[in-house]
Amino acid sequence: MNAPSAEELDLLRDQARTFTRQHTDHRRLRQMRETLPGHARDVIAQFAGLGWNGVLFPESLGGSATGFSAMGVILEELGRGLIADPLVPGAVLAGRAILHCDNEALKQKLIPGIAEGTITASLAWQERPGTLDPQAIQTLATVDKGLVSLTGGKQFVAFAEAGGFVVSAKRAEDVVLVWVPRDTPGLKLQMQWRADGTPGAMLALDNATVPQENMAGAGKQALERAIDEAAAMACAEMVGVMRAALDITTEYMRHRVQFGKPIGSFQALQHKAVDLFMQQELAAAVAAEAAEVLDREPRKDERTRIIARAKARCNDACLRITRESIQLHGGIGTTDDCDIGLYFKRALTLSAWLGSSPVQRARYAPFTRQECELDV
Amino acid sequence: MQFAHVDTDWNVLSDEAFRDRAAALFDQCPQELRNARLRPRAAESRGWYLHLSRAGWLAPVWPRRYGGMELSPSKYLIYVEEMERLGCPRLRDSGVNTLAPILILQGTDAQREEYLPKILAGEHTWCQGYSEPNAGSDLASLRTEAELRGDEFVINGQKLWTSSAFDATHIFMLVRSNKSVKKQAGISFLLVDMRQPGITVRPFKSLNMQEEQCAVFFDNATTPVRNLVGEINNGWNVARAQLGYERLFSGSSRQSMTFLFKLRRIARLTGKLEDPAFVDRLTQITFDVMDLNSAYERMARTLKDGKPLGPEASLLKVWATETCQRVGELMMETADECGGLMGDVQFGDESIELLYPFLEARSWTIYGGSNQIQRNIMAKGVLNLPS
Repeated sequence: MNAPSAEELDLLRDQARTFTRQHTDHRRLRQMRETLPGHARDVIAQFAGLGWNGVLFPESLGGSATGFSAMGVILEELGRGLIADPLVPGAVLAGRAILHCDNEALKQKLIPGIAEGTITASLAWQERPGTLDPQAIQTLATVDKGLVSLTGGKQFVAFAEAGGFVVSAKRAEDVVLVWVPRDTPGLKLQMQWRADGTPGAMLALDNATVPQENMAGAGKQALERAIDEAAAMACAEMVGVMRAALDITTEYMRHRVQFGKPIGSFQALQHKAVDLFMQQELAAAVAAEAAEVLDREPRKDERTRIIARAKARCNDACLRITRESIQLHGGIGTTDDCDIGLYFKRALTLSAWLGSSPVQRARYAPFTRQECELDV
Repeated sequence: MQFAHVDTDWNVLSDEAFRDRAAALFDQCPQELRNARLRPRAAESRGWYLHLSRAGWLAPVWPRRYGGMELSPSKYLIYVEEMERLGCPRLRDSGVNTLAPILILQGTDAQREEYLPKILAGEHTWCQGYSEPNAGSDLASLRTEAELRGDEFVINGQKLWTSSAFDATHIFMLVRSNKSVKKQAGISFLLVDMRQPGITVRPFKSLNMQEEQCAVFFDNATTPVRNLVGEINNGWNVARAQLGYERLFSGSSRQSMTFLFKLRRIARLTGKLEDPAFVDRLTQITFDVMDLNSAYERMARTLKDGKPLGPEASLLKVWATETCQRVGELMMETADECGGLMGDVQFGDESIELLYPFLEARSWTIYGGSNQIQRNIMAKGVLNLPS
C-alpha cells in the first residue's frame, strides 16, 4: 500500500472539500430522486479523473493503492455535499469483492475499468434483511458446458443503475461470485427506491446465463471482507453527512430569532446541540480508526470488532444528529424545501444498509461474552 | 533559595526509552499505595512524594529551570500512561499541578523563588480555595472578602469544596477585593499561610462517607501584600492560566474501564450472559467506553503532533464521566438485590464492592466545572452559538 502521510491526507481533504463545494447542488439532488440514473453523471465522471475510483485497488490493476484512510477522507468530504453516491457501492463494495475473489482474469477484466470509470458495477449479495452472513442465500449457480446459470432473487442492491452486477450464489458448498452484465437475458430489475430517493433494486434471476469465466470462487471470504470494508467507508460518508447537518443546524440557530433572541442563545437548545456534537466527534474518531485498522489488513476477528463498533456508532450518531436537527429547525425542518431533510434521509439510507446497529452489536456479542470470561 | 536546575533533557530520549525509564521509576511505588480506592492522605504518601521529587519526577510539565521535567506533550502522555498502568496514586497535588503553573506564568520572581522549591521539597502542601457556598458553577459571584490594610490583606468569609484542606499548610484562593465593579473584575488571587488563628478547617462527609472535602472559614485571617498574584482585581484571569495539557486527562477512559471490568465480572458471575437482551446492552455500553478511548487517542495524537487542544477537549470529560455513570448504573441493575448492599458483596466465590464506586462517580460529572458548564463552554467555544 502507498500509505499517504498526514500532509498528503490534508491535501486530499482540501481537494475533496473544494470539489464538494463546487458540486453540491441540493436542487438538482431533489430533481434526481426516484429517477435513473439517480446521480449527476457529469459529477461522477470526474471521480475517475481525480483517481478516486481507484484508491482501493493495486497499481497493477489501474489503481493507486492509497488505502482506506485516504478513501475515507474523500467520502467524508463528498458526504457533506450528499454527492458521494455511488462511490461506496461501486468502487468499494463491488470492486473490493472482485479484488478479494480468486479469479485473476475476472479482476483484470473488471477492476481497471472500474478504476477509470468505463465499467460500473454493483454487488448483489443480499436476499433477506437482518443478517450480514454471505451464506444466508438461496440463489443457485449451475455450471454446464462453459456457461454458468443463475436462478434466485436479490434485494437491497444499491447503485441499481450500474452496468452490471456481481451476483453471489451457492454452488455445492461454495459461495461463488458471478459477473452479470445488466442486459443479460433472465435478469430482471425491479426498483426498490431507497429512503433518500437513490436507486436500489431487487434482482430476479431466472436462469440468467453468462460464460463460466465470469465466475469466481472464495466468495464467502471475499464478501465478508468487502462488506466490512464498504461498511467502514459508509461510516466515513456518514461522518460527512453528520458534520454538514450539524453545521447547517447551528447556522440556523444563530440566525433564527424568536422571543427577540437567536434560538441558539437558549441553553436547552445549546445543550442539545452540544450532545449532537459529542456524538459527531465520537463517530469521527471511531470511523477514522476503522479506516486505519483496515489499512493494516487485520485478521477477521479484529476487523469484525472495529467495523461492528464503528458502524453501530456512526449509524446511531448520524440518525440522531439528523433527526434532532429537524427538531432544532422547528416547523421548517419538516418541509421538503429545507435541506436538513435531505441529510436525514441520507442517514436513514446509510444506517440501514450494511448492518443496522442491532445487527452490528449482535455480531459483536460473542466478543462481549469472551471479554467477560477473560477479565478476572 | 536556589532552584535545582535540571540538566536532563528527557525530550531527547526516544519514546520507547523514556517509557522504560518511566516504568522503572513508577514501579518503585509502594504496593500499599497502588490502585487504592482513595487518594492517600499526605502523611501516607509523603515517602512516595519525596521519592518522586528526589528523582526529579514530581513536576513533569514545569520548566527545567524551576526543577521540572519540561516534558513535551508526547512524553507527558507517556508519563501519565505509565503512572496509570502501574496503579500509582494521584497525589494531593494542587501545588504541583494547579498553583505552580499559575506562578510560573503569572507570579513574580520572588513568589516563584519562595514557593516552587518548597512545593518540590514537600515543605508546603497547597489546597485550592475557589468555590463557596453561593459560588459553585457561578464562581465569579464569590464573596469572601479581602481588604487591604497597610501592607497586608485581611480576609473574611468561607470557602467550600476545598479538597484535603486538613492536610494543607497553604491555600491559594480567589477573593472579592472590589465590590463596586462587574463581578469578574473585582476578584484577586492570594496566597495564604493556613497556619494562623483566623483560619478554621471543617471537613464534611461525602455520599460515600469519606471526609475529603472541607469548608474553610476565614475570620480576620491575613496575608502580606507580596502574596498577591498578578494585579489586584485581576485574579479571575490569573486563575485561568494553565501550562496546557492537563485538560486531556479528565477524559481518559481509565475509570470507565475499571467500572466495565466490574460489570463484566458481575455479568459472568450472575449468569446474565445467557440473556441476549442483556448482552446487547453490555455491548452497547462497551462501545461507549471504547469509542471514548478512540476519541481520547485522537486528541492525544493532536497533542503529540504539537497542535493545541481546542475547547472541544471538554467533550472527553463529559463523555468519560457520563459513560462511567451509565456503566455504574448497569452494574447496580445487573447485581439485582446485591446492588442494594453496602461493602464487599459476595457473588459465588468472589466478592465485589459496588456501592462505594457507584457513589463516588456521582461527583465526577460535577467537579472541575459541571458537565452542564462544560456544555455551555462548548456551545460558545466550539459551536459558536450566541449568548
